Amino acid sequence: MSSRGGKQKKGNVTSEQEEEEQPLQAVLVADSFNRRFFPISKDQPRALLPLGNVAMIDYTLEFLTSTGVQETFVFCCWMSNKIKDHLLKSKWCRPTSPNVVHIITSDLYRSLGDVLRDVDAKNLVRNDFILVYGDVVSNIDVSQALQEHRHRRKVDKNISVMTMVFKESSPGHKTRCEEDDVIVAMDSKSKRVLHYQKTQGLKKLQFPMNIFQHGSDEFEIRHDLLDCHISICSPQVAELFTDNFDYQTRNDFVRGILVNEEILGNQIHLYVTQDGYGARVSNLQMYDSVSLDMVRRWVYPLTPEANFTDQQGQGCTHSRHNVYRGAEVSLGHGSQMEENVLIGRDTSIGANCHISNSVIGNNCTIGDNVVLDRAHMWNNVHVSSNVEIHQSVVCDGAVVKEAVRLNKQCVLAYNVVIGPNLSLPEGTVVSMHHPEEEEEDDDDEFLSDDQEVGHSKDKTRQKAFNPAEVGPEGKGYIWKASMNDTEDEELAQCLWGLVLNPDPESDSESEASEESQDRSRSVSPEIDDVNAFQLEVLGTLQRGLEENIVCDNLVLEINSLKYAYNITLKEVMQILTRVVLEYPFQQQGTQLTTLQYTGSLLPLLKTWSPVFKNYIKRAQDHLDCLSAVEELFLEQDTHQTAMVKVLMKMYQLEILEEEAILKWFSTGATNDKSRQLRKNQGVRRRVRRMSLRRKESAEDESSEEGECGRRGIKTEDLRTV
Amino acid sequence: MPGADKETDLTERIEAFLADLKRGGSGTGPLRGSGEMARETTYLLRRITAQARWSSAGDLMEIIRNEGRRMTAAQPSETTVGNMVRRVLKIIREEYARSRGSSEETEQQESLHKLLTAGELSEENFRQHFVHLKANVIEAINELLTELDGTTDNIAMQALEHIHSNEVIMTVGRSRTVEAFLKDAARKRKFHVIVAECAPFCQGHEMATGLSKVGIETTVIADAAIFAVMSRVNKVIIGTQTVLANGGLRAVNGTHSVALAARHHSTPLIICAPMFKLSPQFPNEEDTFHKFVSPHEVLPFTAGEILSKVNVHCPVFDYVPPELITLFISNIGGNAPSYIYRLMSELYHPEDHKL
Repeated sequence: MSSRGGKQKKGNVTSEQEEEEQPLQAVLVADSFNRRFFPISKDQPRALLPLGNVAMIDYTLEFLTSTGVQETFVFCCWMSNKIKDHLLKSKWCRPTSPNVVHIITSDLYRSLGDVLRDVDAKNLVRNDFILVYGDVVSNIDVSQALQEHRHRRKVDKNISVMTMVFKESSPGHKTRCEEDDVIVAMDSKSKRVLHYQKTQGLKKLQFPMNIFQHGSDEFEIRHDLLDCHISICSPQVAELFTDNFDYQTRNDFVRGILVNEEILGNQIHLYVTQDGYGARVSNLQMYDSVSLDMVRRWVYPLTPEANFTDQQGQGCTHSRHNVYRGAEVSLGHGSQMEENVLIGRDTSIGANCHISNSVIGNNCTIGDNVVLDRAHMWNNVHVSSNVEIHQSVVCDGAVVKEAVRLNKQCVLAYNVVIGPNLSLPEGTVVSMHHPEEEEEDDDDEFLSDDQEVGHSKDKTRQKAFNPAEVGPEGKGYIWKASMNDTEDEELAQCLWGLVLNPDPESDSESEASEESQDRSRSVSPEIDDVNAFQLEVLGTLQRGLEENIVCDNLVLEINSLKYAYNITLKEVMQILTRVVLEYPFQQQGTQLTTLQYTGSLLPLLKTWSPVFKNYIKRAQDHLDCLSAVEELFLEQDTHQTAMVKVLMKMYQLEILEEEAILKWFSTGATNDKSRQLRKNQGVRRRVRRMSLRRKESAEDESSEEGECGRRGIKTEDLRTV
Repeated sequence: MPGADKETDLTERIEAFLADLKRGGSGTGPLRGSGEMARETTYLLRRITAQARWSSAGDLMEIIRNEGRRMTAAQPSETTVGNMVRRVLKIIREEYARSRGSSEETEQQESLHKLLTAGELSEENFRQHFVHLKANVIEAINELLTELDGTTDNIAMQALEHIHSNEVIMTVGRSRTVEAFLKDAARKRKFHVIVAECAPFCQGHEMATGLSKVGIETTVIADAAIFAVMSRVNKVIIGTQTVLANGGLRAVNGTHSVALAARHHSTPLIICAPMFKLSPQFPNEEDTFHKFVSPHEVLPFTAGEILSKVNVHCPVFDYVPPELITLFISNIGGNAPSYIYRLMSELYHPEDHKL
């Protein structure tokens, strides 16, 4: 640490003059650190997957170069050799390249945090740098953002540590990644980020009040932003990652900075752009939409015919309706390329094919009468005649035999053979790797040395392919979303994501996924809160009983819990009622007789009556409390008779007013069970008695009131009210 | 090794220029005009001539042709670059011929007799080594550069012959040449300019501000109003991106509608185009003719859901057939479209039409 400090001081002295001349640097993380593309990325790292027949990392490097970056550090981990080979062959490593690319590989990186800690440890960056992933496709001119960032740093003495680049795009945009959906609160003038939250399908969002009390008079809360995953960072960012070793992702970092803003005095800013294009290919859905956007020329000048990678023979021509053809493409008689089609070099297409919105790689052969819609085919794919492919990804070397139909969101990984005469259901993933191997490989996954071992294992363990699944001549194993009942949560989620996330079009499905997200994300935390609150209340009451704490203090404690878990007053009361009524069960087990139950409950009610009184004040509160009581006894139907005594006791303790009880009794019956409850002898009698007492005719308690049902009470009730 | 240094410096410059071409190219707005592009190309070619290793004119031509091919491939829509490469090739041919002592006239002239007798008169004839060739070629390129510098002024000087007092002139989009032309006329005459805004890039707005700054009465109209306003217009004066070999134009989007409206009202259509925009390309070469840019300007990315349901295109250029054009004003004077082929053969050597 001390050595770094020393170097920095030295750097600061000279930086005054050098600020302008220092080359712009970038850190490119060529690893996603997740397994979203899993069966595909097992053979090829994500950064090298082709998008529009060009590896994704080339888009990122081109973007960096065109914004004037002169030095790029590419960090690779998974399959780093392949990335290295690719880069060494590309134009970025030619001596004339304006952007010097350094490749840094390590098997030890597990997250973005590790990479940035390494950046700090090796002291690579000297000035503000651009941080991107290797799968970002963009043509945004960030020089403006860079200027703003530098200006802020000059004015505010290095307070701002990061400027995130966002693109405006309204919700519902197909290129918005649902996983990355964010809501941002920012200061309109200074563009400072005040609050940053991933929505993740939440319907309700909360903003801490203190963000609005910072003195600025204009705020914006925006949900129309697309995260481009491009950030301009100051060198402090790397240091902060070192200091906080628990930061894994940029998300952690941003949240950390915002939470500790007051302490550390660091700020994060936002740059919102309207022009340009920027998106990260973070899952297959994004892959599909970014690929289409590219073919539709949104990323101009990074278009297929521009051949910006400068590779020999990669050029293609662009004609009407965004049809791109590489060299030596042959198209059979009667075949139509309708719109947004990119066909790589040396590909031949048979007769009477219909192709729309698709990307076809180099050296593919496609038979006759083939229908391709939103198909993404990579290189050396063979498709026989009478095949239909809809919105699917077909990787290198795959073979699709005659009369196969790939429904939406299918994935055929490397070298898979499918068919003939088969229809793959929606969302099928087929890979040459057996899904079960994958757990074993899991450990040596990141060590490229063990790759060989993995492969040999492959061969020895080769299981028979299931002809029902992949066709009589098929080769490959189906990866099912349902087989992820493994303990490995994260993996399960990724597989699920891979299959279910490419769902941009079908409304029903996106709704379904929204719903499921709702259920898992928005509702469950609330329930969790309520449960936790209930437990806490129980604990508090228990302690109160054991240590003889005054009821006032109990109220105080419950109140503070209420705020901690953000529980409404109504819920507090219901939970409190519930906890108290369940208390005997909690203490003595559920096998109590009714008599025992009432025996232990009634004294408790007496001790805690001040607590109740504190919460039950308005008429509505009484009704809520009663409904909670009712609910509980509906569940515990063996103890229904005890309810009379409970109600009586609560009435006697003046927790509940008789008026409320009468009202509850007369109105509340919503279903059969509760009606039954009310018909229960005891309850009826008690209520009857109350109403009689109300009329101050308290005598005649012993007389039989068999026939006097609810009707009678109602009329009396009306009379009294 | 200073020689090697020089060479890497040169390749670096070429790469930078190529990358620049790929990313930019003219036509979308704030980028360079084609005049500047022409000058830059010529500077680069002069540098190649001075720094590359070559011993004879043939070598040099080969080098320049190679680089020229790469440059035109980088941005096919930017024809100026290719034109300048052809001009320099022609200069080399001429200088070589002069060094050899034969007059370039005889070299140039094509006759039936020559076609029959000559055959192997081309490349191997350029193998001879001349000491002063390099200096001569560079000198000639410098002359070309001075010519390029003067083009806009030369065109503007002719303004008074074409614009008269109290005329109503229509123009479309923004052209630096036309702007200079109109400004020059405004020094002596009073006239009214109507500028079609030329959506979606709306370069017309910029043009109008420029004109009104020097006191020209200027009106901006929407593109849809072109036909309605045309009946009041005396002359249409526009710029172009390229003059094609058949005398047609490849000009900014919307020019064709202006030309048709002008024809309907028999309004003269005058094109201000410097000579370096003359390209030996014909309009049927489909691949390189179009240029489609990001649809952002037509339907912004922020529009959201609709974008997945529609296809949006944003072409940059229009083709205007030669029969709609009345007159070309270039830096060497006014010419009819039918004379373009002649100018073409004067500017470029027939063997260089295809690089």
